[in-house]
Amino acid sequence: MMSRAHNGLPGVALLVASCFLAPLMLGVFGTIWQAGSGDGLRAAITRLFSDPRLGPALNLTLFTGVVSSTLVVALTVVILVSAHGTRVWRALMAALPPLLAVPHAAIAVGIAFLLAPSGWILRWFSPWLTGFDRPPVAWTVPDASGWSLVIGLVIKETPFLVLACAAQLRSLDVDAALRIGRTLGYSPARSWSRLILPRLWPRVRLTFLVILAFNLAVVDMAILLGPGHPPTLAVWLVQLVSDPATRTLASTGALLLAILVALVAISVLMIEALLGHVAAARRRNGQRGHGFASARVLGQGVALIVMVMGMLSLVVLPLWSLARRWRFPDAWPSQWTLDHWVRRAGSILDPSLSTIGFAVLTAVLAVVAGIIWLEAERRGRMPRIDTLWYLPLLIPQTALLFGWQVAAIWSGVEGSWWLVLHAHWFYALPYVVLILASSWRELDPRWAHAAATLGAGYWKTLWRIRLPLLAGPVAQAAAVAASVSVAQYLPTLLLGAGRQATLATELVAGQGGMDRRSMSTLAVLQSLLPLLAFAAAVAWQGKRRMAASVNRA
Amino acid sequence: MTVLEVNDVCVAPPDGAPLIEHMSFSIAAGEVLVVMGPSGCGKSTLLSWLTGTLPPGFSSRGTATIDGNRVDNLATERRRIGLVLQSDYLFPHMSVADNLLFGLRAGGRHDRRHRIEESLEHAGLGGFADRDPATLSGGQRARVSLLRTLMSEPAVLLLDEPFSRLDAARREQIRQFTWAQSAALPVLLVTHDLADVPDGARVLEIQARGQIAQSGVYSAQGAGDA
Repeated sequence: MMSRAHNGLPGVALLVASCFLAPLMLGVFGTIWQAGSGDGLRAAITRLFSDPRLGPALNLTLFTGVVSSTLVVALTVVILVSAHGTRVWRALMAALPPLLAVPHAAIAVGIAFLLAPSGWILRWFSPWLTGFDRPPVAWTVPDASGWSLVIGLVIKETPFLVLACAAQLRSLDVDAALRIGRTLGYSPARSWSRLILPRLWPRVRLTFLVILAFNLAVVDMAILLGPGHPPTLAVWLVQLVSDPATRTLASTGALLLAILVALVAISVLMIEALLGHVAAARRRNGQRGHGFASARVLGQGVALIVMVMGMLSLVVLPLWSLARRWRFPDAWPSQWTLDHWVRRAGSILDPSLSTIGFAVLTAVLAVVAGIIWLEAERRGRMPRIDTLWYLPLLIPQTALLFGWQVAAIWSGVEGSWWLVLHAHWFYALPYVVLILASSWRELDPRWAHAAATLGAGYWKTLWRIRLPLLAGPVAQAAAVAASVSVAQYLPTLLLGAGRQATLATELVAGQGGMDRRSMSTLAVLQSLLPLLAFAAAVAWQGKRRMAASVNRA
Repeated sequence: MTVLEVNDVCVAPPDGAPLIEHMSFSIAAGEVLVVMGPSGCGKSTLLSWLTGTLPPGFSSRGTATIDGNRVDNLATERRRIGLVLQSDYLFPHMSVADNLLFGLRAGGRHDRRHRIEESLEHAGLGGFADRDPATLSGGQRARVSLLRTLMSEPAVLLLDEPFSRLDAARREQIRQFTWAQSAALPVLLVTHDLADVPDGARVLEIQARGQIAQSGVYSAQGAGDA
């Protein structure tokens, strides 16, 4: 007979679901309520559409969001087709996860340091190739048309989609399909487009929609890399919400941004349906196409550029934080110093400790909550709600957080540390559940049956059998939760009401008013925490594997 | 008459002992050459080398020619060497007809459709064109898989244990179907099971590293050494 010790599980799982769904409801309805709280929703909409700042902000948002998302898909396809199964692919699989862990704001600062007229890339080629012995004035970063933001989003989000595809490719038996396709006379590119991509896309569609929603509604990267006049819609709304007199306008704009994201997503689905018809017809025409080795090399070059740009944007940060003297066009600093670290130690200590505190607590609470939910689901006490977990990632943060902020102000809890922790947990939990879900569901139930026949109860089986067997995904989920927490800018800013300073809020607040060296110290610290979390997870898994092999020997 | 000639093939994995050493043989059109041997003796490696799908890092030398034209230096898709594997690998996002159309080389739209319907009819699968491959039985899937390969008009056909996943009742039926469909081609069959070998086929029994232990012509009454 099975143990009854887990009878409280459904209740705790319901608590987890409530803590997750409450902010969703509060956020969405709070934003709608605030939008209509003045002279009514219609008047608010009229006011929003008569504001001359809306049009340029909307155009810029559509341009940066749609162009960057399109490039992310295009580059992902090029990388898959040209690099899969090669050494470049193996290098990508090793290099991209750490890049994914680094917060957007830190990457954005690094990219600005790379692309600026006095940036690292131009320094490498000056003056011997470009002839520049001082920074050119032909462009600025951020630029007025939004290309810096597009590049930043592409470098940050392409690894996300590539890794999501890589995870799915394992179950598609790619090598066999390509082998069959090629022995039937199709070139590698056509084998991919006809045999792999039509099966891969439905599996990563939701991930792409998350990227699309993020690119259209991002705030921290848009502040750091996007133009200021006009800013993107999300950035403009955050400026509006900080003034109580324009909060109604901000909430109305947040609803508009949510509708915009939904409309673009629907357009993507329509384009997908259209392309699906075209692709099906092309699959039947029997045309084989030619393989071009040079195109494959070019594609691998693109993959390497994305990877190297991402890595360089991280490497340049510590360089600037340690540079005493770094004149253009020198490729390296001519004098080094620790002064920037020492001088700023006092002011960065509190945000660092606060960031670590939120990250550790978020990781622990999100992993515990994720395990509780998946256990309740596994035992048939809770339904599978996979699509719901994606909602915080699909709904723009402005549309959720403006409403959540209203509720927090109304109940007098705005600015409390636990409210910020709740927000971090809310945004980390979906990643934790999605990472743990497949391993948790697929673990062979006979392990638990074997433990039960040896007399182990529910909790003992969970603690001694299930958790150790799933230690790898649990460690990975904890590291991801910590890195999601470290990256949270808008939730910390709005719900913390300026009283909860973290590295993310300090870094973004420094834009425009802080020198490169100070920005880079903050960005290094912000990148370091998630990288350490990942290194710890990898080291721990390695240690467990080594211990297991010693035990077997 | 199409002839596949393989001369002095050597294949080695990165930093490992050779999997095939100095292997040579030839197969004429209408002839079935059967390669038998224990696991790891290089049978599948030979097929991978012939189709140009060796894993990255493997080194190889030797030549393969079809009618005197060298093919081992061509891209996989240009060799015209058809392959049927143990698993049928019918593409799950395509109907039965679309799987066959995928194999069929270019031609007019109506003509293409007509050809695949005719071949399905001939294979005892009339009315199956718009079916989802997942709804077919193992034997039906095996027939569609072979038809798809033959639609691509290969010059040579390689069969990698194509009957091993079928139940005993269907196996003989699919064997007969396979030999009838591929009667005009040079066929290389890799198998563990002597029952798969058709009468009159030439059998190469190989040991480790593709070394030929013995060869002979198979007849149901008993194989005779050459």
